[in-house]
Amino acid sequence: MYKWEKLGKVFDPKSVSGRPWLQEFAQAPASLLFDDFIRIYFSCRPAADENGQYVSYSAFVDLDRSDPLKVMRVSDEPILKLGALGEFDEFGTYPVSVIRHDNGVRAYYAGWTRCESVPFNVAIGVADSNDGGASFVKIGTGPVLSYSQDEPFVLSGPKIRRFNDIWCLFYIAGRKWKLVNGRPEPVYKIRMATSTDGLAWTKLNRDLVSSRLEEDEAQASPDVFYSNGSYHMFFCYRYSSNFRGKEFGYRIGYATSTNLFDWHRDDSKAGIDVSGSGWDEEMISYPHVFDVDGVTYLAYLGNQVGRHGFGLAKLLGNLG
Amino acid sequence: MEWRRLGRIFDPTKYCLPNKCHEFAQSPQALVFDDYVRVYFSTRERDLKNGKFLSHVAFVDMAKDMRTILRIADKTVLPLGELGSFDEHGVFPINPLRHEGRVIAYTCGWSRRVSVSVETAIGLVISNDNGLTFQRSGAGPIMAASMFEPCLVGDGFVRVVDGVFHMWYIFGTGWRRFTTQSAPDRTYKIGHATSVDGVNWNKEEGRKVIADRLGEQESQALPTVMQISSAFHMFFCFRESFDFRAGKGRGYRIGHARSEDLSNWVRDDDEFSILGAPGEWDSDMQCYPHVFECDGRKLMLYNGNEFGRFGFGLAELK
Repeated sequence: MYKWEKLGKVFDPKSVSGRPWLQEFAQAPASLLFDDFIRIYFSCRPAADENGQYVSYSAFVDLDRSDPLKVMRVSDEPILKLGALGEFDEFGTYPVSVIRHDNGVRAYYAGWTRCESVPFNVAIGVADSNDGGASFVKIGTGPVLSYSQDEPFVLSGPKIRRFNDIWCLFYIAGRKWKLVNGRPEPVYKIRMATSTDGLAWTKLNRDLVSSRLEEDEAQASPDVFYSNGSYHMFFCYRYSSNFRGKEFGYRIGYATSTNLFDWHRDDSKAGIDVSGSGWDEEMISYPHVFDVDGVTYLAYLGNQVGRHGFGLAKLLGNLG
Repeated sequence: MEWRRLGRIFDPTKYCLPNKCHEFAQSPQALVFDDYVRVYFSTRERDLKNGKFLSHVAFVDMAKDMRTILRIADKTVLPLGELGSFDEHGVFPINPLRHEGRVIAYTCGWSRRVSVSVETAIGLVISNDNGLTFQRSGAGPIMAASMFEPCLVGDGFVRVVDGVFHMWYIFGTGWRRFTTQSAPDRTYKIGHATSVDGVNWNKEEGRKVIADRLGEQESQALPTVMQISSAFHMFFCFRESFDFRAGKGRGYRIGHARSEDLSNWVRDDDEFSILGAPGEWDSDMQCYPHVFECDGRKLMLYNGNEFGRFGFGLAELK
């Protein structure tokens, strides 16, 4: 089992003012390392509209590289515009994952649209930054990864990586919409695709991680990290019903692989769980692992899937 | 190239169709058997939840005179998709073909949106009973929106030429409110993709293969392709993107283009004409053409007024 030392909540969206688009939530942290700071991208929301519905934006916060608990700045604007009328990302750009590419920065993000029979659908878009990662421009107005025979809806949660010159996109794909007390709730599983250019993708078309809680377990945030000769995946998972509370809500799981395609799940090794009290006492989710100056950090969300921000934990020892 | 009007050959309002459908026989598409021609079409059920339509696939079997009705589908040909799927609210159109001894079909699935009315994508279905019923080969589409084809991929028409699957289809270029009072309207254009197996497709991403005649706001739909002598001919329908339901002269008409190589198309609507007096059913609109050969005759099925509410008719190449 890994040992993580919780460092506490790092960023609370309520601590920011003057940004009406950043009122609540700091979800799905994703890092990009700079000389003096660690940029953590996250997704946030303005206040809900008159029907109680949210749109979501993505933004960033820069943490002091020598003291990651210190916030240096918060982006003045969202990093991406919402899509135009009828486009796949008209109602949200969440989450986002970034990678350095061709002296620039590229972002993969999930775009949200609203549907009639189910609340939403999601597909994955791509955008490039020409200003070092402060803002991004979509390469096209449509998705770079969308629905297919085995992945019929809800392609979300992209995590972009490059291993041995192959682009790897880890993401989730919807399996079914399950009616829970008359309300459609999505069941999704962790999937991946590979590419030689980051734009034309070949889907692996199978689940990477077995389900443990139940057949309809929902899995998210497949965060893959290479260390010590193998690949490590931290992810989160929950029950399909009544998951908005502690008992059936998100926990962080773990799997390992030697080839990126075949994964062995062993949640007992994850080494991080809900706290006895505080901002992460009910659920923990959306793990993201990154290395800074010899220290391995895990950024994650607490109660209500990041409504109150994200925190950091520090690995004691190494990933095996 | 002159086509002769043979009149309306099927009126859905005269029959009981499966799934409580009683109007609309849209986008007729033919599958030729030894003794008869099966014409698939999409018909509509009223969704009791909200009064909107659900499109269902049905068929009519006709003798090769294309007059005598032998049989009408009496049960569901293809059930609608599951909750949240791309084809949950309708399948329209369906493009059947024979491949390796089986009947397969490409569908256009509809699902409703909130800010705009609908999104579509193309599915693949397989029949194990010679086209009476179809099953999905997966819950999702085989072709959907992509970076430069941002919405409304649909209307696939597939033919295998020299061992290569060719698909002509439409993709949306975007939605727009033409006036502050009007609901969002869509614009779509004809595209092309190829495949070696009919399942995995390579789009010519975002290439509009047919030149606009009405300008950027022209919507082009339902391409259908046939070889006539040495050239390939594409028929399709086109209209203005705004005020196309009631606006005089703004609704669907049939267009035409010609190609020697299946890649470069020269549009020439004037080369195509339907001779004969229009009927009451096709006086204002002609849309959703489908060309096929039957016993040496080159035939075109098409819809008339109100997008096929009152059925479909036939024309024959002279």
